Amino acid sequence: QFVPSDPPPVRRPHAYADQYESDEERQFRKVFQQLAGDDMEVSPTELMNILNRIISKHQDLKTDGFSIESCRSMVAVMDSDSTGKLGFHEFKHLWNNIKKWQGVYKQFDTDGSGLIGADELPNAFRAAGFPLNDQLFEMIIRRYSDESGNMDFDNYIGCLVRLDAMCRAFKTLDKDNNGTIKVNVQEWLQLTMYS
Amino acid sequence: MSGIASKLQHDREKAQGIGTNSQAVKYLNQDYEALRRNCLESGRLFEDETFEAEPSSLGFKELGAGSSKARGVTWKRPTELTRNPKFIQQDATRTDICQGALGDCWLLAAIASLTLNKQVLSRVVPSDQSFDDGYAGIFHFEFWQFGEWVDVVVDDRLPTRDGELLFVHSAAGSEFWSALLEKAYAKLNGCYEALSGGSTTEGFEDFTGGIAEVHELRKAGPHLFKIIQKALNRGSLLGCSIDITSAHDSEAITSQKLVKGHAYSVTGVDVVEYRGEMVQLIRVRNPWGQVEWTGAWSDRSSEWNYVSDEDRSRLKNASEDGEFWMSFSDWMRHYSRIEICNLTPDALTDDEFDKWALSKFEGSWRTGSTAGGCRNYPNTFWQNPQFVIKLEEEDDDPDDNEVGCTFIVGLIQKNRRQMRKMGEDMHTIGFAIYKDVGRRQVHLHKNFFLRNASKARSETFVNLREVCSRFCLPPGEYLILPSTFEPNKNGDFAVRVFSEKHAEFEELDDPVDCHVEEIHVDEDDIDSRFASLFGQLAGHDKEICAFELQKILNKVVTKRSDIKTDGFSLTTCRNMVNLLDKDGSGKLGIIEFKILWTKIQKYLDYYRERDADKSGCMSSAEMRMAVEDAGFTLNNPLHQILVARYSESDLSIDFDNFVCCLVRLESMFKTFKTLDKDNSGTVELNLFEVSRAPLHISDSTLPEKY
Repeated sequence: QFVPSDPPPVRRPHAYADQYESDEERQFRKVFQQLAGDDMEVSPTELMNILNRIISKHQDLKTDGFSIESCRSMVAVMDSDSTGKLGFHEFKHLWNNIKKWQGVYKQFDTDGSGLIGADELPNAFRAAGFPLNDQLFEMIIRRYSDESGNMDFDNYIGCLVRLDAMCRAFKTLDKDNNGTIKVNVQEWLQLTMYS
Repeated sequence: MSGIASKLQHDREKAQGIGTNSQAVKYLNQDYEALRRNCLESGRLFEDETFEAEPSSLGFKELGAGSSKARGVTWKRPTELTRNPKFIQQDATRTDICQGALGDCWLLAAIASLTLNKQVLSRVVPSDQSFDDGYAGIFHFEFWQFGEWVDVVVDDRLPTRDGELLFVHSAAGSEFWSALLEKAYAKLNGCYEALSGGSTTEGFEDFTGGIAEVHELRKAGPHLFKIIQKALNRGSLLGCSIDITSAHDSEAITSQKLVKGHAYSVTGVDVVEYRGEMVQLIRVRNPWGQVEWTGAWSDRSSEWNYVSDEDRSRLKNASEDGEFWMSFSDWMRHYSRIEICNLTPDALTDDEFDKWALSKFEGSWRTGSTAGGCRNYPNTFWQNPQFVIKLEEEDDDPDDNEVGCTFIVGLIQKNRRQMRKMGEDMHTIGFAIYKDVGRRQVHLHKNFFLRNASKARSETFVNLREVCSRFCLPPGEYLILPSTFEPNKNGDFAVRVFSEKHAEFEELDDPVDCHVEEIHVDEDDIDSRFASLFGQLAGHDKEICAFELQKILNKVVTKRSDIKTDGFSLTTCRNMVNLLDKDGSGKLGIIEFKILWTKIQKYLDYYRERDADKSGCMSSAEMRMAVEDAGFTLNNPLHQILVARYSESDLSIDFDNFVCCLVRLESMFKTFKTLDKDNSGTVELNLFEVSRAPLHISDSTLPEKY
């Protein structure tokens, strides 16, 4: 019942990518190069710095800032080659999702509190592509919201990034579409330890 | 998680045979048959939007948009260039491919050799393609790429200038398979320019999936003739060439009509009796189809008058077809090197060939965990992926005084050519071989390599795509350790071993297991001091929740100068509570807290013990041992993940991350055991069961009804 975001595009050689970019993408690549430094990869710390720099400019989003632990987890669920860092395509995918979900956040913060309340959450998540059942919503609110049931922006993004990655992972492994996947202990640990 | 899942799925598909030549992976998910059918139905010619007829497909620098070489280029279909284009000319007796304005002669030489072996050619160039029946402007080719076959689709728009093909073309001008093959290979590598400057051996391998070895004739061992003879019996592709000393020497022709800097094929060897002596001969072919050697044993030389009639009629061939005999000693003197591409058994269905046995394994080097560097770095060398090969039977060489098992080891690094644009170049790679101690399922540790000298090794560490060496060793088990020269270089590789006889090959790694000892505490074990401490911390509800635990732990660890930490996160504390919380309250009672306290004491001991330099931090290199101390055996993929997930950018692991890692490991092992009710080793999970772990939703977070 989940609708995960599109998978990241197939990796193309850079010679290809460079030429086929729109101006917006070219702009984005420049930003990425500044962020990622010489190794052209974004580490959790780099991700944390950029996310926190950007949300500090948005007064309408309540947050106590992205924690390093949360950024480590986001990098882990996106990372495709176990290097602990995000390459250009992985980062762009993450970035586009964050932008999209930020729009949803503002739209569903109907009382303008800068937070998503427990009553606003199901609709917001549905709009983001995750029509979960009540049990899962309940679990998520317990885990990610404060005592009064409000979720701030960093928790909201952290939760959606993982949820999205998990859905895509499940879809990838559920080749026959029967709603279950089979894993052995090594695969189980690979999936769950790297999240 | 999604990244890991893709990797797991790839491995699963591989295990099902996807990536073999008969089930090639569809490059960029393009399906030749489906695309062609679409085009035929809609009545338009195929236009490949993943490799456009645009300057970007030509190149990025010398052939980049706006460069002088790319000026005036238009893309045309063969049907626009000639009235009657052919894919493969049926009646063509020799290959006449000509190089264009691109420095990819290495590729041409490989294509030329390819045409000598019809069976191998038909694997790369599927033959059911033409400009007549079912033509839709689309063609496809299959290449071997680092362990798997990929099917690459192209449209037939080719770069031209003034009505002529810019790159590879046929001399007749009406045959197009070679130009389309080049285009497909350019697509695979990003653009045409990415093909310039390579080696024939790379082309050999990408067209056959074989292992190419190079023998410098100046340094050749005593068995070269025998090696060549065996290679020919195995259907291998063989090329030889003469070095040039300067650029204008290229394709210079010597007085005896040998062409320098040109790729020849070797097509046969033989031994004949000549004036009472046995003489070794070698047959060489100039792919031009003309210009032949004029010295001893050439087509019209007098040496042929002194061999038996039978030998003469068997070997002599006086036609001008580019092929000629030389004495092996002349050949050794005139030529510089021979390249032998050993084919995999599946490339040769024909029974007339002997076949190599092939074993292969893929692996990866990751900074901080499995990228250990070469033997110069004894502290990390042992962390490289390890492979063991068991050679049981000696070669069949009745008249060879060298007894042993012949095998070839090739170590290939993946995907480096595509990264060129980013300034990434090849890693410097090599491997070492040790006499194995006969153990399995154990990743060998530092001490083994300190005590044992290597038995053999790759000739050097080089920054080539592949390093490859031939060995002849007594039967036994051998350990192969592939590595980069320096530690901490991220890279992916495949190791392949071609052996004369069947050989067992497997990765040497620890089985994934958890044997953490349960800590048992009862009321009597708790002294009054601990009890009063707990009373103060827990407050009136006599229990400690994750928030309280975080405060307590951070108070304790920040006071200590011997361990480095930036504080425990709430997630870690939640995980700890979850691990110990027996009654599902989401909080720890005094006994549970005592168990946790004991655990943390133990973690502290492991941590300090491994922190050899007393920096307060553990290095990622020490992580493997520390995790073992704590009761876990894990394999390479998991060690890689732990370092990627928990280490800092300087590859250190501080105390809170260390604890977080161990607690989560233990939890996940426990969860798996719970899910694996019938102890089968695999579990079947639905989305709900899977979703909790990455969301860090633990049992204690669950609403009561669960």
